[in-house]
Amino acid sequence: MTQELLTDTINGLAAIVLLTSFFLVANTRMHQLVRTFTLQSLALGLFAFFVAYYTGAEHIYLVAVLTIIIKAIIIPRFLDYTIEKIQVKKEVEPLVGIPLSLLICTGLAFIGYYIAEPVIANGNIITKNCLAISVAVVLIGFYLMASRRKAMSEVVALLVIENGLFLAAISITYGMPLIVELGIFFDVFVTVLIMGVFVFKINRTFETLDTRFMRRLRD
Amino acid sequence: MVQDVLLNSLFAALQAVTMFALSPLIIGIIRKVKAWFQSRKGSSIWQPYYDLAKLLRKDSTMSKDASWISRATPYIAIASVGVVALMVPFFTTYSLGFVGDLIVVVYLLALFRFFMVLAGMDAGSTFGGMGSSREMMVSSIVEPTMLLAIFTMALITGTTTLSSISYSLAVTGPDLVRPALFLALAAFFISLLAENARVPVDNPATHLELTMIHEGMLLEYSGKQLALMEWASWTKFLLFSAILANVFFPWGIATDLSALGMAVGVIAIIAKVLVIALAVALIESGTSKMRLFRLPNLLTESFTLALLAVMSFYIL
Repeated sequence: MTQELLTDTINGLAAIVLLTSFFLVANTRMHQLVRTFTLQSLALGLFAFFVAYYTGAEHIYLVAVLTIIIKAIIIPRFLDYTIEKIQVKKEVEPLVGIPLSLLICTGLAFIGYYIAEPVIANGNIITKNCLAISVAVVLIGFYLMASRRKAMSEVVALLVIENGLFLAAISITYGMPLIVELGIFFDVFVTVLIMGVFVFKINRTFETLDTRFMRRLRD
Repeated sequence: MVQDVLLNSLFAALQAVTMFALSPLIIGIIRKVKAWFQSRKGSSIWQPYYDLAKLLRKDSTMSKDASWISRATPYIAIASVGVVALMVPFFTTYSLGFVGDLIVVVYLLALFRFFMVLAGMDAGSTFGGMGSSREMMVSSIVEPTMLLAIFTMALITGTTTLSSISYSLAVTGPDLVRPALFLALAAFFISLLAENARVPVDNPATHLELTMIHEGMLLEYSGKQLALMEWASWTKFLLFSAILANVFFPWGIATDLSALGMAVGVIAIIAKVLVIALAVALIESGTSKMRLFRLPNLLTESFTLALLAVMSFYIL
C-alpha cells in the first residue's frame, strides 16, 4: 500500500466518523441511532487499525480490535436490548429542529477546525488533520446531549463524545500506553452497563425516559 | 485559435443534439425498470418519444387569464436547457466551456425554474400556485447545495469550467480522489433527485394534484407547449446525470480527437448515465415520497454534506 493511499484511507475514515455524527444529529429513531453509532465505532476501529499499520506500533492493533469488539458489537447489542426491553422507539421532538441542528453542528465543526488549527500548523504526523475532526465530534456529542430529551439518546451522545476523545488520542499521540487504553475501555463498558440499568430504573419510576421530568426530583 | 473555437462549437452542438435525442429514452428506461420492480410489464422504453410526437401534433389551449409569461415559458425553458447542454461535457470534454462556467450553468437552470414557477402562478389555477410555492421552498435549499458540491470539485481541480474540471480529473486520474469527492457526490445526488422532481421529494407519476410539485406547475399546459416543457425537464434530468458523471467520475470521457477515444467516451457516458438512471429507479421503487414538511430535513442534510465537502478540502 502506498503512502499516499494510506493517508487518504486514514483521512477518509476520519471523515466517516464526522459524517456519522451528523447522521446521529439528523436521526430521531432509537434503533437507527444505535446502528449509526455502530457504524461510527467500526470506522473508528478501522482508523486505529490503519494507524497501527502505518506506525507499526503493535499495541494499537490490540486497541483497534478492542474498539471493534466492545464499541461496535457488545455496546450496540446491549443498547438494542435495553431499547427492546423498555419499548422506547422514537425521540420526542428535539428541542431544536433538525435542519437548524445540522447547521449549528456545521458551525461546531468549523469551531473545531479553528481550535485545532495551531496544532495542525505545527504538527508533522500524518493524522494531525484528524484532530480538527475529533474536536468537532466531541462538540457535536455535547450538542446532541444538550438537545435531546430521552435518556437513551443521551447515552448515545456520551458514547459519541468518547469516540471523539479516542480519535483525538490516536491522532495526536499515535495512541496512549496500552494500560491507559484498557482502563478507558473498561470504564466505557461499565459506564454503559450502569447507565443501561439507570435508564431502566428511570423508565420504571417515571414511566417515561423524558429527562425533563427529572427536574421534579426533590430530596 | 479560430480552429479551436470551431472545433469546440462543433462538438458542443453535437453533444447538445445527442442529449436532446437521448433524454426521452433515459426517462423511458427509468419507467421500465420501475415497472419491473412493481411486477408490471410497463410501457415500451420508446413511449416518451411517442408521447412527444403526439403532443407536438396537437394544438395547445391557454387559459384566458394567462399572460405572455405562460406563452413564453416553454420557449425559455427549452432555450435555457439547450444553452446549458452546449456547455456541459457529455462524451468529450470539447464543449463551449469557455463561454460560461458552472455558475452560469446553475443560474441558467435557475432561470428555467423561475419562469416555470411564474407560469405555475400565471394561469390562476390553485394547484399551480401550490406547486410553485413548494418548488421555491425546495429549490431555496437545493441551489446552494448544488453550487457547493460542484465548487468542491472546482477547488480540487482549480478551475470553475465544467469541461476543464472533467478534463483535469480524467487526465490526472485517481490521484485527485479525496474524501471530499464522496461527500460532494452524495450531496449532488440528493440535489439531482430534488431538482428533477424524483421520488423522495416529488412523485413524477402522481395523479393526485394535492401532492404535486413539478406536475402541478404544468397542469395548465397542453399540446405543443406541454411537449416543450416535458422535453426540457427530461433533458434537464439527463444534463444533471451528465454533470454528475463527468464532474465526479469523468474517467473514460474523450479528452482528445482520436476515433478510439470518442468511441470509448460514448460508451462510457452511456454506461454511467444508465447506472445513474438505474440508481434513481431503485430509489423510487424502494422508498416512498417524503412528507412535505420533512423535506427540509433531507435537503439540509444534503446541504450539510456539501458544506462539509468544501470544508474537508481545507481540513484534510
